[in-house]
Amino acid sequence: MWELLPRSLEASTVFLFAALGELINQRAGVLNVGIEGLMLFGGTAAFITAQATGSIALGFLAALAVGGFLGLTHGFISITLRGDQVVSGMGLWILSFGLTTFLGNPYTGPLGLERIPSLLGLSPFILLAVALVAIGWLLLFRTSLGLAIRSAGQNPAAAEASGIRVVAIRYLCVAVGGVLAGLSGATYTLSYNPVWNYNFLMGWGFVSLALVFFSMWNPWILLAGASLFGIMWQLSLSPELILPGVLSRYVWRTVPFAITIPILVVISTPWFRTRWGLAKPDALGRPYEKG
Amino acid sequence: MHADRAPSEPILATRGITKRYPGVLALDRVDFEVQAGEIHAVLGQNGAGKTTLMNILFGLVQPDEGVLSLRGREVRFRSPHDAIAQGIGKVHQTRRLVAAHTVLENIVLGHPRVRGWLNLRGARREVADLCARYGFAVDLGARVWQLSEGERQWVEILKALYGGARILILDEPTAVLTPPEVQTLLAGLSAIVRDQGVTVLLVTHKLPIVMAISDGVTVFRSGRVVARLRTADATEEILVQHMVGRDFALRAADRSTGAGRPVLEVEQLSAFNDRGVLALRGVSFALREGEVLGVAGVSGNGQEELAQVLAGLRPAASGTVRFDGRDATRASPLARWQMGIGYVPAERTEVGTIAAFSLVENTALNYHFDPEYTPRGLLDDAGLHKLTGRIVSGYNVKAPHTSAQAQHLSGGNLQKLILGRVLSRRPRLLIAHLPTQGLDVEAAAFVRAKLLEARAEGSALLLISEDLDEILSLSDWVAPMYEGQFVAVLPRETADAETVGAMMAGVHQTQGGVR
Amino acid sequence: MRLGRYELTLEQRPPLPAIYAALVAVLAILLALVLASFLFMSGESSVLSAYRAIFSYAFLNPHGLLATVQRSIYLLFCTFAFLVPVRAGLWNIGLPGQVYAGALGAFAVPLLLGAQEAQALALPPWLLIALMVAAAALAGAAIGGVAGLLRARLEVNEILVTMMLNSILFWVVSYMIKEGGPFMGATAEGESFRLIASLQAPLLRGVPFTAALALGAAVLLDLLFAKTALGYRIRAFGENPTAARYGGISRMTISLLVFLLGGAFAGLAGYHTFAAIPGVYKIPGNYGFYGDLAFYGIISALIARGSALGAVPIAILFAGLSLGARFAQGALRLPFGIDYALLGLLMMTFVASHVLYRFRLAWRRVQPAALRPGPAGLPEG
Repeated sequence: MWELLPRSLEASTVFLFAALGELINQRAGVLNVGIEGLMLFGGTAAFITAQATGSIALGFLAALAVGGFLGLTHGFISITLRGDQVVSGMGLWILSFGLTTFLGNPYTGPLGLERIPSLLGLSPFILLAVALVAIGWLLLFRTSLGLAIRSAGQNPAAAEASGIRVVAIRYLCVAVGGVLAGLSGATYTLSYNPVWNYNFLMGWGFVSLALVFFSMWNPWILLAGASLFGIMWQLSLSPELILPGVLSRYVWRTVPFAITIPILVVISTPWFRTRWGLAKPDALGRPYEKG
Repeated sequence: MHADRAPSEPILATRGITKRYPGVLALDRVDFEVQAGEIHAVLGQNGAGKTTLMNILFGLVQPDEGVLSLRGREVRFRSPHDAIAQGIGKVHQTRRLVAAHTVLENIVLGHPRVRGWLNLRGARREVADLCARYGFAVDLGARVWQLSEGERQWVEILKALYGGARILILDEPTAVLTPPEVQTLLAGLSAIVRDQGVTVLLVTHKLPIVMAISDGVTVFRSGRVVARLRTADATEEILVQHMVGRDFALRAADRSTGAGRPVLEVEQLSAFNDRGVLALRGVSFALREGEVLGVAGVSGNGQEELAQVLAGLRPAASGTVRFDGRDATRASPLARWQMGIGYVPAERTEVGTIAAFSLVENTALNYHFDPEYTPRGLLDDAGLHKLTGRIVSGYNVKAPHTSAQAQHLSGGNLQKLILGRVLSRRPRLLIAHLPTQGLDVEAAAFVRAKLLEARAEGSALLLISEDLDEILSLSDWVAPMYEGQFVAVLPRETADAETVGAMMAGVHQTQGGVR
Repeated sequence: MRLGRYELTLEQRPPLPAIYAALVAVLAILLALVLASFLFMSGESSVLSAYRAIFSYAFLNPHGLLATVQRSIYLLFCTFAFLVPVRAGLWNIGLPGQVYAGALGAFAVPLLLGAQEAQALALPPWLLIALMVAAAALAGAAIGGVAGLLRARLEVNEILVTMMLNSILFWVVSYMIKEGGPFMGATAEGESFRLIASLQAPLLRGVPFTAALALGAAVLLDLLFAKTALGYRIRAFGENPTAARYGGISRMTISLLVFLLGGAFAGLAGYHTFAAIPGVYKIPGNYGFYGDLAFYGIISALIARGSALGAVPIAILFAGLSLGARFAQGALRLPFGIDYALLGLLMMTFVASHVLYRFRLAWRRVQPAALRPGPAGLPEG
């Protein structure tokens, strides 16, 4: 059963990259519920580019670019136009869902390139994930930029009055969030499961969104949550390893999603709520009007 | 009281500043100047333009016309960044602090010396020095949401000073302070000006503050400068004349004749606030028909929680509420409206009305459950239109027509609409929370008159206000509130401004007449 | 952005009369079609002939027209399923999951009542059909209700819950109809059993009675929101939940109610598309396609700005477009997924139109910071 662990951790990197990006832009006060869309588009762009050019590196670059671009689009609608952030996020999701189905269809099937070599038996993305979490934590809690980001998400008026350019900070964070979502999608299509199929993420983006809430906006807790989720997901694919023959394999596939719901319930109960409420960026999802 | 200063080049001046907002001329060719090292008061009623001018001086807002000069040179502030860089600091009317962060984090936020790596140790030493020099004892590691209003204000002043401010703008700094905190503030400001040569611009509408501490005063009215005086040459009467233009003195209302039936009986009522802290701590009182109980005190002492518990918008942690003899402690907001409790909330736009709805639809907010206006579950549109028309004319609400959206009404008109809507239900108990806050003198007088009318018709009124004059002029009983409790419930005859003021600050006194 | 003495700014528009909303909706749809034409260019024929093929199949061809009508009914139910909660400010993106639940609910009736063989009917067919409809609605309502209840009692984010339920229900249906699950059809080909003839929905000229249900619902919904106290409460809650609570409107009741109602509509959509369309009468192996189609309901509700009757022409249009695009894809050898791409483009143009509806670009003259002489002689003392 332990041979599943590296694979589980690989799955968790997909959750983690997108969730970390979302954590950063949520810390700045911008909510993006459509990260699934950015992941889909990034993954599809990566797959197409990699197959067309034969270079995995270029594939990743394409994903980062596409993700960043979509993130900035969400930023433009949410920050400059002060539009409803949920509408914008949902829009990006459906847009991506639709367009990637169309664009990726000719490429349905396996990637056909050499797999990315593993380091010490672990996928290199796992190490990258830990590194990014560390960088993310240091950035948010040990730099003045991080203090500015957190302030922009708690009380943008106060931040602005202290000379922080809230708009610029939010754009930066939303771009970072988009880039990381693109990275996440590329990790899926180029490494974890290099076979393109429409809607290949099947809701993983929303799980990542849930993970951000669970983590109380702390990168380390996020890492733990993503790892747990990766393990659960991998187990649900091969349930015979712990409970052979108990339920249909289809029912097992529902387990990771089903587990999310009680966890959401627990963090919404009053006891948890006050602590969670204090960790939540106060201005999350609210459009910011200068002056 | 203050040493005479020879006239010299003003440190900060404006010429011809004009600012227009849609539908209103906020500032009209304002010429303004401040001398270096003085405490200058900027005086005026709400809406006179003081805050707008200060926002321009701080770079939050750009003027449409006019020129700003600092130390004799013309300047343009495109953002607070520029203003801060030039040595101007501002302490706003509403707190601009990040409540979830620590005092130290707030002070250093945006400070150029804390670039890149967040090295708080050096900053901590410097800030601690500043605190020691002015005798502020505030824990740098405390979270701001744990601090009192007075302490938060000091954090903002410290932040401005640490940022190198040579000119300090304070916008209504005493609005939420208890009298002892006000004294500390004024003493501290005098010390800062004396020791550091800092210039202070004090924006206020409170005359005693102006007379107590300022060297010079500029009076604003309706967006224009109407007077510039040395404080030594001014008196309160002169200043009032300039501020108001006419006489709107508060006259004491007739006392109620007493002996109505008891409407509300509250016993040991307690409740938690949003942060899980017990904000209302065992309040007890009784109110009869036609009586007014004025709850006096600075916001933040449990008034909001009291109003919300009585309106059913916040659960009581313990205690009972009896309305007309029946237990109403756990009644829903809907049940309370149906029972005859009316609530005029402090937040007009967030709670009292729905911005995108028309006036008629806003009226329906208090009528959607009323059988008379919802025959067989359908809304009686025509009836609601007529009702809204009556409210608009009866309460002088200036609106283009009843289908106009609520968000296009000014604050004063919105408040009159809300009041009219609630009073049209003829509530047996009216809870009015800060009913005249932010209203101009005329609108405030109108609102007070309507409240008294309701009282005359037999409604019991629970008035929660920060305006001590208003409380004293309208109430039969005065209950100063401090830290979640009623310090006392005094009959009007024994309640004078000093006594009540002291109680609001936590000084207990046992005078006759405590119920 | 400045150019000399002028600068380009975004300003908020004053609220526009209702006719502009319809205009903007039309523009959004047209823009999406224009953008989609770029996708057609990757095919083998001209854009114009592609569009001609799409529209003539969808609306002129008798088979195509009928199919369009069937799909419109489906989309209309999905639209209502999203529309009701969105007017309360809540996002029901659990449409696919609720559709699947509705399908399972409908098919559970003949399964449980032993009505899979024509001879063994214990109850009259019309009653069984009515029960199927009711079961579909209830099942959809129950699934929607989970999200509604959690939102109502604990303020749990409904987007997350409904999305999780989508995935859960998707796999549950697989379990039910594949590999020996209870609903599996006799041929064991990964689809459910077929409905016997007497349980197939009665038709009028090929259109099942669900059309009447859908249109009736459209009228009732618009009446609900415009004229009733309950509709007012839902709207008020959607606009400003705090003020609504102040006015005595119960957050819990409204949140739960709109999700129950929305879920019920999605359940009915499930009934219609699997149990009422001639030629189907089963839950097919590719049921996921219909689940994806449900997302069109989101866009049509948004474009119709919450008007149920306004959504009718939009649903018909989208139904025709998606069917026609599939057809044209086959006939004109266009790449797969045009209908999905169209879905995405429509969402994008909707969001863009939503923005244009509220804002406009304007060139404004920059105010010069000129020196003005100050007024003389102010009163001093």
